[in-house]
Amino acid sequence: MHRAPDVALLDLDGVTRRYGALVALDQVAMRVEEGEVRAVIGPNGAGKTTLFNVITGTVKPTAGLIRFADQAITGLPSHQICRLGISRTFQITALFPEMSARENARLAAQARHPRRWQPFAGARIFKEAQALADAALEQLGLSGIADRPAGLLSHGDQRLLEVAMAMAQQPRVLLLDEPTQGLSVEETAQAVDTLARFLQASRMTVLLVEHDMEVVFRLAHRITVLHRGAVIADGAPDEVKADARVQDAYLGGLD
Amino acid sequence: MSAALRPLLIVVVLVLALAPFGLPPFAMTLLTEALILGLFAMSLDLMFGYTRLVSFGHAAAYGLGAYASGWLLLHTGMPLLFAVFGAALLTGVVAIGIGWMCTLATGVSFSMLTLAFAQLLYAISFKWTSVTGGSDGLAGIPRTPGPFGFAALTSKIGFYYLVLACLVGAFLLCFALVRSPFGAVLRGIRENEAKTIALGYNTRLYKIAVVAVAYALGGLAGALYAPFAGFANTELLFWLLSGQVLIMVIVGGSGTLVGPILGAAFFMLMEHQLSSWTEAWALYFGLIFIAFVLFAPQGIWGLATGRLQMGRLRRASGP
Amino acid sequence: MSTVAFLLTQVVNALSQSALLFFLGVGLTLIFGLMRIVNFAHGALYMLGAFVGYSLSHWSGNFWIALVVAPVLVGLFGAAFEFTILRRLYRRDAPAFLMVTFGLALVVGEAVRLTWGSDALQVPAPPLLADVIFLLDEPFPLYRLFLVATGIVVAVAIWQFLERSRLGLLIRATSQNADMASALGVDVKRVRSSVFGIGCGLAALGGMLAAPLVTASNGMAATVIIDAFVIVIIGGMGSFLGSLIGALLVGFVQVFGNYYLPDLALAFMYLVMLAILMVRPGGLLGKEA
Repeated sequence: MHRAPDVALLDLDGVTRRYGALVALDQVAMRVEEGEVRAVIGPNGAGKTTLFNVITGTVKPTAGLIRFADQAITGLPSHQICRLGISRTFQITALFPEMSARENARLAAQARHPRRWQPFAGARIFKEAQALADAALEQLGLSGIADRPAGLLSHGDQRLLEVAMAMAQQPRVLLLDEPTQGLSVEETAQAVDTLARFLQASRMTVLLVEHDMEVVFRLAHRITVLHRGAVIADGAPDEVKADARVQDAYLGGLD
Repeated sequence: MSAALRPLLIVVVLVLALAPFGLPPFAMTLLTEALILGLFAMSLDLMFGYTRLVSFGHAAAYGLGAYASGWLLLHTGMPLLFAVFGAALLTGVVAIGIGWMCTLATGVSFSMLTLAFAQLLYAISFKWTSVTGGSDGLAGIPRTPGPFGFAALTSKIGFYYLVLACLVGAFLLCFALVRSPFGAVLRGIRENEAKTIALGYNTRLYKIAVVAVAYALGGLAGALYAPFAGFANTELLFWLLSGQVLIMVIVGGSGTLVGPILGAAFFMLMEHQLSSWTEAWALYFGLIFIAFVLFAPQGIWGLATGRLQMGRLRRASGP
Repeated sequence: MSTVAFLLTQVVNALSQSALLFFLGVGLTLIFGLMRIVNFAHGALYMLGAFVGYSLSHWSGNFWIALVVAPVLVGLFGAAFEFTILRRLYRRDAPAFLMVTFGLALVVGEAVRLTWGSDALQVPAPPLLADVIFLLDEPFPLYRLFLVATGIVVAVAIWQFLERSRLGLLIRATSQNADMASALGVDVKRVRSSVFGIGCGLAALGGMLAAPLVTASNGMAATVIIDAFVIVIIGGMGSFLGSLIGALLVGFVQVFGNYYLPDLALAFMYLVMLAILMVRPGGLLGKEA
């Protein structure tokens, strides 16, 4: 990458999450560097979504340490973590269906506005948030449909709108939870094209959970493999593809 | 609200301002009460219509405001204006505490907590006789002139103008609020609270804030009612009123601010007209409500503006 | 009067009160659990049960016939309401149900007033139960003991019905996941009609049984609906066992509160509820917050 390898933007060390006897995350350690697109893959129930929930603070880890930009964020409430610069999308589309795409993105940008609690600054907040929102919509090729209600967009555009909303917050890390979930083959191809172009242009740091291996190999610089909550492999796409344990885990633990 | 409706609203306010010159006294009494109830219903719309916070206990705001202004007017000799706005402010401050506790829960539990607080106040109003007058309530509440001996608002017509000014002022405040960035977050909470949290909003603070504003305005309505009627009693805190105001909001059209005011006026009119035609007015009342839910869920305002928009579309697509 | 005897009579009093509250709360919670409907008309149907029971026992001259027939009639009325009106609303949001059941409460309340008048009506307890018995030398109305017994019998019957019967199984399945139950061939519509009817019938049973103690009056709907809400909120919306615990808690708070803290009894009930909700927002046995 373009930075010294010891400058990890997101650093997980020994992160564990138990639900009773079940160990959803087992001593997970990983370092995501600035500008990197990292995919997290693994069979169903490997703990991928729990990993996202722990990083974004919606689930507290049982043990371990999470550092973001050299600051410990373990156990902070999720809105604070979000404010530090970690934005995420959800596996199941979560939008404001009656608002237009622009309003969706503007509401996302507004969450970062330093004056958002000031009375009488409304016009200025809206203007500045809208500028960020429009730029993000542009980046994801949604400008043409920005005035339609989000609930009426195609599934593919809804998934991209979620990414645009996350981008409108000017995050330092973007967490994408299965961005092509629920899309048809054609929709997936289109969405992945757009995402690839966007990632290329923005040099965004991304943590990506994805089922579809083609999507993973197309977008990711580096892959981490989770199996039963533990990291079993970590490396460049080609290394991971060749890893015997990964093949075992996928064949043995396949759903 | 579309720009086309703004002149219409200005005309309506002007007509209301001229109403005392054309209406007989009994009609002015009805109209004054309708506007007070309209203010009450509009305040609930902030919570119900814009944030989807379903309160079963909005009577708490009305009753608290009424008892507070009634007590101030009866026992402190405070002038009307100060008593009314002081009571509204007090209601808003109490509502911060109520909102803080109620927002611990969401969904139906939130509704039930608001109901519980209202019923708690209802129970207190019976037992704290030295302040509330117990089951008799507070009677003979005066409209004390002032401040500075200013007496114009204490006459029947003057008081009507005070109510109208409060309603218009509150409407403008709510209108600005729902269109502000703050209002955008409220809509976010209404449509998808989990997503709003995920975007980094501390939604609970927003909810407490909207509860406080809604209660303060509901309290203002109650604070106006006490000197209007000359009394405040336990009925003003009873859950039946909470149910009725929710109905006014829904029948009028929630999430529109104007709709709930119409709903309140409709409620008053129905109660008055039906009860003069038939002893069984509540029966027909109930049937009308059920018909509204089944056939006109968007409410009176939704029906009216929907018709308007259809007309415009038809004109636009015509030759 | 000895302390022990006094306590015993108060406890039995509280239990009989709890039994009445349970009939009210369990119907409400069953309906909520299955349909996510907060039935505002529940108090009105309780009252309807009392008045229908009054008329039936007058015509037939037999309390027992009325006790069986009144809940059945009110239950059928409830099922018909579900069938004709609620059924059209399942795709809509919660406020629609709130409004429509509030409308029903108004309609039933007014219909009762027009049919039976505004005066409170005495419903005598059956001769068999009109007696007084002695608990540790303290006189005690036999009717209240009968209420306790009925409460126990009904609670066990409902529990067994939910656990053992086919309809009970369908109710539990539909409560947990209506779409899945429907996909498995459950006639969800019929289950809903049945449960709404059963819930309303149980409320009517409560009203009918309460009438000899408190007379049948127009005001009874407004007070009991709040009691019923408090019970299901405390116990957890949708939980059968929760409604039992809630009814016991509220019954005891009401009876003992009225004796020891008459000024605060009413407020005390709400304070208990608030305290519970602060700790467990979904109620004692509720699943959701």
